Parts: sequence; C-alpha cells; structure tokens
Amino acid sequence: MTLTSPPPDSSEAPEAPTNRPPSMHRARNWMRRPYARSIMILTVVIGFILLPLCWLIVAAMNQSGAPASPIMEDIETTVFVFTLVSIPITAFVFAVLVYSLLGWKHVSGDEVPADDSPAIRTNTVGVLIWTVASSLLAMFLVVWGLMELASITANSYGTVSADEQPGGEKALIVNVTGQQWVWTFEYPQHDGLTSDILYLPKDRAVYFNVTSKDVLHNFWAVELGVKIDANPGAITQTGVTPNKAGTFNVRCAELCGLHHAYMQTKIQVLEPTAFDSWVRESGGGRTS
Amino acid sequence: MTTATSTLEASSSTVFGVEVPQPPQHGKPGGIMRHLNFGTGLLTGIVFAVAAGWITSALSSSSATNDTFAPTEPEYIYLAGLIGWVIGFMLGMGAFVGPLRWVTGRDLTHADAEYMAGKDLGIRRYFKFTTDHKVVGIQYLVVVLGILGLGGLLAMLIRTELGATWTEVFSPTFYNTIIGTHGIAMVIGMIVVMSGPVGNFIVPMMIGARDMAFPRLNALSLWLLVAAVVCLISSMFVGGIQDGWSVYYPLAAQAPPGMLGYQLTIIVFAVSTGIASVNLMTTILTMRAKGMTWSRTPILVFGVFAASLMGLYAFPFYQYSQILALTDRIWDTVFFNPVQGGSVWLYENLFWLLGHPEVYVILIPSMAVALEIMPVFLRRPLFSFNFAVAGIVGVVALSGLVWAHHMYMTGWAPAVNYPFMLSTEMISIPVGFLVLVAIGTFWRATVWTRLPLMAIYAVVFNKMIGGVTGVYLSDVPADQYFHGSMFVVAHFHYMLMGAGLFGAMGGIAFYFPKMTGRILDERIGSIGLWTAFAGFQITFGSMFVAGLQGQPRRVLQFDDMFNISNWISTIGAYVIGIGMLIFLAAIIYSWRSGEVASSNPWGSKSLEWQTPTPVPLENFAVLPVVTERPYNYGVPDPYEAELEAEDGDRTSDDRERAGVS
Amino acid sequence: MKRLLVTLASVVLGIAVVVGIGLVASVSGAEPDAIVAKQVGTKSTPKGELPHYEVHLDVYPNSSAAVPPPSAGTPINAELLSGQPFYKPSTSIQVPANSVVTIHFTQYDSGGQIYNPYFAKVHGSMDGTMTWNGKQVSEIKSSEVGHTFTVHQFPESTQPYLFLSVPLPMNPANAKTDSNGYPVDPQKISVTFITGEAGTYVWNCEFPCGDMYQEFGGPMQQRGWMAGTFEVVA
Repeated sequence: MTLTSPPPDSSEAPEAPTNRPPSMHRARNWMRRPYARSIMILTVVIGFILLPLCWLIVAAMNQSGAPASPIMEDIETTVFVFTLVSIPITAFVFAVLVYSLLGWKHVSGDEVPADDSPAIRTNTVGVLIWTVASSLLAMFLVVWGLMELASITANSYGTVSADEQPGGEKALIVNVTGQQWVWTFEYPQHDGLTSDILYLPKDRAVYFNVTSKDVLHNFWAVELGVKIDANPGAITQTGVTPNKAGTFNVRCAELCGLHHAYMQTKIQVLEPTAFDSWVRESGGGRTS
Repeated sequence: MTTATSTLEASSSTVFGVEVPQPPQHGKPGGIMRHLNFGTGLLTGIVFAVAAGWITSALSSSSATNDTFAPTEPEYIYLAGLIGWVIGFMLGMGAFVGPLRWVTGRDLTHADAEYMAGKDLGIRRYFKFTTDHKVVGIQYLVVVLGILGLGGLLAMLIRTELGATWTEVFSPTFYNTIIGTHGIAMVIGMIVVMSGPVGNFIVPMMIGARDMAFPRLNALSLWLLVAAVVCLISSMFVGGIQDGWSVYYPLAAQAPPGMLGYQLTIIVFAVSTGIASVNLMTTILTMRAKGMTWSRTPILVFGVFAASLMGLYAFPFYQYSQILALTDRIWDTVFFNPVQGGSVWLYENLFWLLGHPEVYVILIPSMAVALEIMPVFLRRPLFSFNFAVAGIVGVVALSGLVWAHHMYMTGWAPAVNYPFMLSTEMISIPVGFLVLVAIGTFWRATVWTRLPLMAIYAVVFNKMIGGVTGVYLSDVPADQYFHGSMFVVAHFHYMLMGAGLFGAMGGIAFYFPKMTGRILDERIGSIGLWTAFAGFQITFGSMFVAGLQGQPRRVLQFDDMFNISNWISTIGAYVIGIGMLIFLAAIIYSWRSGEVASSNPWGSKSLEWQTPTPVPLENFAVLPVVTERPYNYGVPDPYEAELEAEDGDRTSDDRERAGVS
Repeated sequence: MKRLLVTLASVVLGIAVVVGIGLVASVSGAEPDAIVAKQVGTKSTPKGELPHYEVHLDVYPNSSAAVPPPSAGTPINAELLSGQPFYKPSTSIQVPANSVVTIHFTQYDSGGQIYNPYFAKVHGSMDGTMTWNGKQVSEIKSSEVGHTFTVHQFPESTQPYLFLSVPLPMNPANAKTDSNGYPVDPQKISVTFITGEAGTYVWNCEFPCGDMYQEFGGPMQQRGWMAGTFEVVA
C-alpha cells in the first residue's frame, strides 16, 4: 500500500475525551481488568509453548525420509501452515481453561455454593469477534487448501499435460496392481516389464494407473505423497515427479485381509541413466 | 368398548383426577406379561435359534456350495439361528403382547399399562419389558456399560498386539476380528451412551413430562439393542468380523459367516435407533411442559433432539447397505461385487452417509450434557444460549453434506473433493460456537470443583485437540498423507472418546444422584477419571506421532521405526484401562453403598431435579408450568456497577446490546 | 476401606478378565509348530561356500483318510474349511540365515488360470529358475498354475529384502489318482535360494484356490492352510 499523504498522527493529537469512540474506551477499560491481562499473557505463553509443534510435526513426518516430490513438499507446507494458524485459537481456549482452574475463584465441598457467579447471558462483542475470527480462519484454511489441492492436482494428474512436467520428457507410465497381498508394477512402455519393487527415474513425470485384482487396496507411496485407492474393476490415475533419488516406502493403507500389514514394498528412485540401465538389465527392451 | 362379553364390563379409571374410559379388564393386570421376563426371553430366544438352525440344517444340503465354492449350509444355519434368536427373544420378552392384544380385541387397560410400567414390581421391573422411562434409562445404562466394557477389553488386546512389536501375539485373523468388533461395539456403545440412559431417564423429566410419548416403543428399542448386541458377540465365535468396523466391500465378501452377525446386528440396531429417535423426537416436540417455549428448553434437550434427528436420517443408509450386503451374500446378488458389475463406491457412499453423521450423533449429546452441567456448577446462566442452539443447528444442517471426505482418496469423483472440503471445513464454525459457549461460561465464574464439572475441562481440552487435527483431515492435501494412517485413529479417538466418552462420564456423574439416589463417590470417581485422562493423552498423543511417521491403520506388524511410539501408546492404553476400571468401581460401589443423595444435591433449577428421589412412577403429581429461561442462576455483574458509574445515562439493555461484561 | 476394596477388586478382576481372554485367544490362535530346515551339506554360490538346507512341503487339494486337515484355527474354522486345499506338514517354516535353502514341493492339486501372470514366473531363486519334474524352468503357463509359494518382502528397516515366489504347476484334470483321490504322479518342484540376515516374513499362495469372492476367502486367509510365516533365524 502506498500512502499519498502522511497519515494524521493520532497519538500526538490532543486528547479529546468527548469525541473518543466509546468502544475504544471500553476496550481499554476492559484491558485494565487483571484477569483480562493474565489471560492475554497466558495465551501468548501457551502459544509459544505450542509453537515448536509446527516443526516437530513436520520432523515426525520426515522421519522415514524427507519429501521426495513436489507433492509431498506441498503437503508438508500445508500441515505446517495449519498447525501455525491453529495455535492462537488453541492457546486462547487452553488459557481460559487454565485461568479458570487457577485464577478465578473456586469452592469445593458438598454444599451448593452460596455465592453465584456473575450472570453474563451474552456478550455481543465477544460473540462477534469469535464468529468473525473463526469464519475468517475457516475461510483461510479452505482457500489455502483449495490452492494447494490445485497445485497437487497439477503435479499429479489432470490439468498439466505430460510434456509440460519438469524434465520435459515423455512421462513414464506405471501400471500399479494391488492384489492380496502383493504390489506389482508393470512398465507398459518397456515391453511390459514387471517388478515387485517400484523403480522410478528422478525428475521425470510418472503416471500411475492403479487397479486391483480383488479387494480394495490403497497405494500409498509415503515419501512421494502419493495415495490413491486400488479399486477392483476400475483404474484410478495419479502421478508424481520424484525429485530426490533414494529408497522409499510403499504401504497398503486400506485393510485388505490377512496379510494387510505385510503388503509393503520399496520404491527406488534412480538417476535417469541408472534407471535406463535397470530397464535394460531387467529385459525391458528399448528405453524411451 | 361396549361389545365386551357379559362377564367383562367396560369400566373407567381415574388417572390424575380425570375419568378415563377403559376397555374391559381380562384377568389380573398385566395378563401374560406377569410371566414374561428376561429369563423367558433368553429361553425362547435360544429355543427359537436352535429350532430355526435345526430346520435350516435339515432343509439344506451339507455339500451345497454357492457359485464361488463357499459352503452355504453353515451360512444358512447361522443366519436362521440369528433371526430365530431375535424373534424368539423379543417374543419371550413380551414385546409383541401389546399389538397382539390389540389385534385380538383385548386392548391394554390402564391397570395393564401400569403393570407394564413396573408399578409395585420392585427390583423385578429391571428384568422385564418395562415401559417406565426411568427403568428403561437404567437398563440402557447397564447395557451400555456392558458394551463399552466389551469394546474396552478388545482395545486392551489390540494395544497388547501393537505393543509387542517383536512378535504376533494373536493370529492376524483374530487381530482383524478384534479391531472390527472393537470398532463396531464402541460405535454402538457411544451412540447409545448419552441418548440411552440420559435421553430416556432425564429428558422426559427435564421437559416436565410423565413418560415418553410411546412407552412401549421405548422398551422395544432397548430390548432390540440387547438382541443386536448378542448377535454381535455371537459373530466372534463363527469367524468374526475381520474387515474393520466399516466392513468395506468386496473384502467383506471374503469373510467367514461372522459377517452375517455384523449385518444382522446393524439391521436390528438401526431399527432400535429409529424407534428410539422417533420416540425421543415426538416426546420433545409434543410433551414439553406448559410454558416451555424453545428458548426455555434446556440445551441438553436440543442436543438429544439433534442426535435423534441425525440418527433418523442417517441410519437407514447404513441399514440399506447391510441389507444389500446380506442379499449379496445369501442370494448372490451383486450390488457390491465389482467383478460382476457391482460397485464398491456404492457401498462406501451408503456407509459414510451414516458414518459421518454418526460422529455427531455421538458428539452432540456429549457436548450438550457438558453445557448442561456447566451452569449448575458455575452458578450462572449458560453463556449465549442462542449461540449454543445455533451451533447445534449448524452441525445438524451440515452433518449430511460432508460424508465424502472419507472418500477423498478412493478415486471416486476427484472433482467433488473441492465442495466436500469446503463443507467439512465449514462445520468447524458451528462446532466452534459450542466451544465459545463453553469458555464463555467458564469466563470469570466461581468454579464448584465437583467431578461432573471437572470432566468438562477434560472434554474441552480433548475437543480442541480433536478439532484441530480434524481440520488437517478435512483438507485434501493433508489428508493425502494422513488418510488411512494412525493419525486418523488418534483423531477420532480424541473426538469420540476424549470429548464423547469423557463428557458421558461427566454426565453419568451428574445424573447419578437422580438415577440411583446416591452420590457418585467423588474420590474414586476422580481418581478413575484423571487416570483415564492421563492415559488417554499418552496413548493417543503418541498415536498421533505414529501416524505422522506414516504407520497405516489396522496393521499388526510394522516397521521398527514405529516401535517407540507404539510402546508408549500401549502403556498409555493400560493406564486408561485401569482408570476406567476405577471409574467403574466408583459406579458399582456408589450404586450399592454410596452416600445417599438429597433430591437436588447440585442445587439445580432444572425440572428434573425438582422431582423427589427416587422418582415416583409418573414423575410429577402435578405437571409443572415453566415461567423463565433455563439456568437462571447468577448475581449481577460487579463490573456493571463500575460501568454504571461511568456512563449512567445508558440503560443496561443498551450495554447488553453493546456487549459489555 | 470398603471403597478401597471395591476399587481394588474391580481393577484386579478387570485385569484378570483381559489377561485370561487374551491368553485363551493367543493360545487357541497360535501358529502351527514350525518345520525347521535340515542341513544336507554345503553348496558353492557366488557368495562363497555356504551350508545347504532342505525343506519338504506337500500341497493337498483337500483332507482325506490318509491326510488329516491342519489343526490351526478354531474348530468352527476347521469345519468351514473342510474340503479346502492346504500345505503340509506345516505353514510355519524356519530356515537359517546366510545359507542356501532348497524347498521341495510335492503338488497334488489341480489348478487353472492365475489372475496375475507375474506369479507364474519364478522370482528370487538363486539363478531365477526352479526344477519342475527334473527340468529347469523360469516360468510356467499362467493358465496351468496350481498354487504359488510367495514369500513377501516386508521392508522393515532392520531386516533384509527377501522376495521369493514359486509357481507350482497344476496336475492335469485327467491325471491318474489313487484311492484318496490324489494324483499318483504329483508335480515335483524344487527351488533353491540364498537367505540373508535374520528376519521374519510371511508367505501365502497367490493362486485363487479358496472360496467366496475371487476365490480368495476361506483357506487363503487362514494360517495353517494357504498362508503362513517364514522365519530366517540366525
């Protein structure tokens, strides 16, 4: 924002009590109350105690390996931001609970307390602030979520065509088949080469056609941030561009019977040349 | 009824000073009901079950298989046995006596009705098809404690398996069975835990009614629940429910006959819930005391009404899904068989059309009971009653529009993820209203530190954590990581157990004096509650970590990476178990030999506390008239005086509008 | 005092019930006794001279007078699974780490088309082949599979990768059978592979030979029948 003229300096303007807006007056008056200050301070203190959670949560998500795709990076940013914006409201509620237990009076014993508490039937300002704040917060989360979802959609399937993906090559297609209780991966562009480990090239768009031979499975490539159900009788499509070489995990995230817990495998993201030589060695014929 | 035979004269009886014409009296009051009780129900149920099973066995060929080589005979026998059990049990309980007598022209008289309400039956009335809402409430309480106990037992076994990371304690088959049975038992228990005991015992008194609108339906809903729970338990002995509580198809089509137990449980339970919902809603709509306008109706009544309304529209979806699944299984229809043209997404949609409203069916009564408790112990009106009502209305309005957030990752119509994400995140606004009402009521209040109120601190704390983590799951990008992981498990336990069950514990402690005539022992109860609370934070806090690390749900073996969080989680679960047992001990001890309570030990102004304890058969000798808003406690705000001095020319109404407090 | 007693009794009783039911469930659902691989000498491999072990497994289409059904699972399960195929003598298999292991299968069952041709190939054996009635083959026709023996890799960070899948060819429908209905001349398959460090794995059959939906219910999801554990011990 650019200001064309200097703003009137209100703090140096002479006090005009008769013209002062009553709301300002009331707010200041309210802030002078001891409990109001204490709760504000408590909120800030609890907020700062909770603040490290933003990083701890992401650290826990990174424990098996840092994000290996733009999708997973988006997911982690989202989780970070959501934690951050939840902290003030959580801290405030916790502060009220704590202050209610420690700050305001309390009585014990079997007798019904003789003194009632002040009868506050409502507080328009408080209610309005809460409603507006929580609606704005929800709105922010929705808008953020929609933007991230659009970005993830672009990075996985749908709106961006294969040759516009990073790397500029033709995308690699992998047919993912879940069946009780093994994942198999087929590379139709490479003479139908099949594998029980998912080998992927780095920095090249990969499209997954996911299906199941029997019951529902869920294809979860943990560090790539890919998750989609494998449905019998239908092919679900998603995609990813791995941007880090290394060994990652595929887990089944939908109960699929006896050995559901064991329906896991590895992902090997290789440098493009290494991937090509893997294809040749495994009899995958030409490399595209 | 002038057509009566010469020996049986039509008569009339005086009910609360009003002459009511009566049909002729046949025999002693109660008739056949005098001989029917839980024992005869059990006996007839077993006889019918065995007979139906035997007939089916004789009719079907033992070598018969269906088109996928499954032996059909055990399926038919088990199904026939279950149906026989339900019909026989209800028959033996006397559930059909009323309609049968009506059909045969021997309608129930006032004396019969009084017998069925348990008049002068003493302790025996708790073991009969008793229509008195207070007896039904107590029966519900005992049944619910049993169901929750079963679920808790299975929870301990689940955590034992997950804590013993080095071995398989149970076979995977049994592990899958206990996770499924734990899930459905807890869901049934939690749906009933507030609407059952409190909804039946307290709500009619709270609105100043003498009983529920349909007393016999009331008893019917309870005993159907008992019949359903027996079906559920029986399933564990014929292969169990190995597919989680959601029993997704087509996996459930591979399950052993135990799946029939699940399907029948749900079909019967949905009938029970439907009947109970209609009954509660009719009672609340039509039988409120004179003068009890909506703004004078306590918030718990709104909560129970909302839960009944959601149950009423949501349960049929679930029931349909299980009926279709049953025909798939027995008659080889292919509603959910994708290989032959059925749709797994159809099942998922039907299931979650119940599955999500059900969460609010559990949560809203617990939140409402919390809001009911707070004014009494904080000695002040509920903060912004209208906002509490608005919150409940908002949740009900949105509850049916969010189910597909369970299906973000199924590949079913990715485009609808956008609107469902919007509606799901919007529901945090009305839920936030309820939190605001809670903290507004705590605001500057003098706290009477009794057990029921202390439980509310636990509820608000857990609800906050459950709510915030719920926001992650409502968001498609974050859900892409969390869906199907332990994070989801931890989140819904924070909501259903942390907010739901702890609220229910507060509710039980609060209404215990009215229900049993004794005070719930404060010391044991508190020790139990806080032990469970501490264990709860340990268990599900570290389960969040396991989920963040990437542990999928419903697995019995996992990478060593998750060991530490699972060990901590298991230790916490044992602490919860001990805490819950201590709380149970408090209930048992206090019920038998606790301190005798006065009729209104909490000094409440609500109608239910104005009745004598034990509550007489028809609650009120003279129906009350309500003249003021609920929760009329409190003294003028001391800060008011200060403000009065400052701007004396403004009326207090102006200030209330401007929101000064 | 009474309060304390009631509380104590409730806690102790509760724990006793949980422990009791847990024990019963754990014992009754226990895995069958493991068959341990026997040493038959040594074998030279690319990894050097390693001890050589053998395991024998039989696959029967159903139980008979000569071959009793497995005892695993609850009685009701055993009743429901009568007439279903199973592995003998046990589905719990124990082999030593860092050695050469040969599994000899004797396959008495019929078969048909497998869903995923991937499992008609041999995976994870020493030279990518198996011995089928004396011939070295690396895959069989996907329409003539009887069963498979598929050990899952379970990528735990602390245990090595192991993926072994062997197709067991079917017996032709017109094969000569003995009085119990089993082929007189069953399919004999052996496969040899090298084990790494110790680890716990599971295996199951990937050929749909059970009942219910996609023929993957019943014995396919019951340890002791068509699924089991595969332990590599140090």
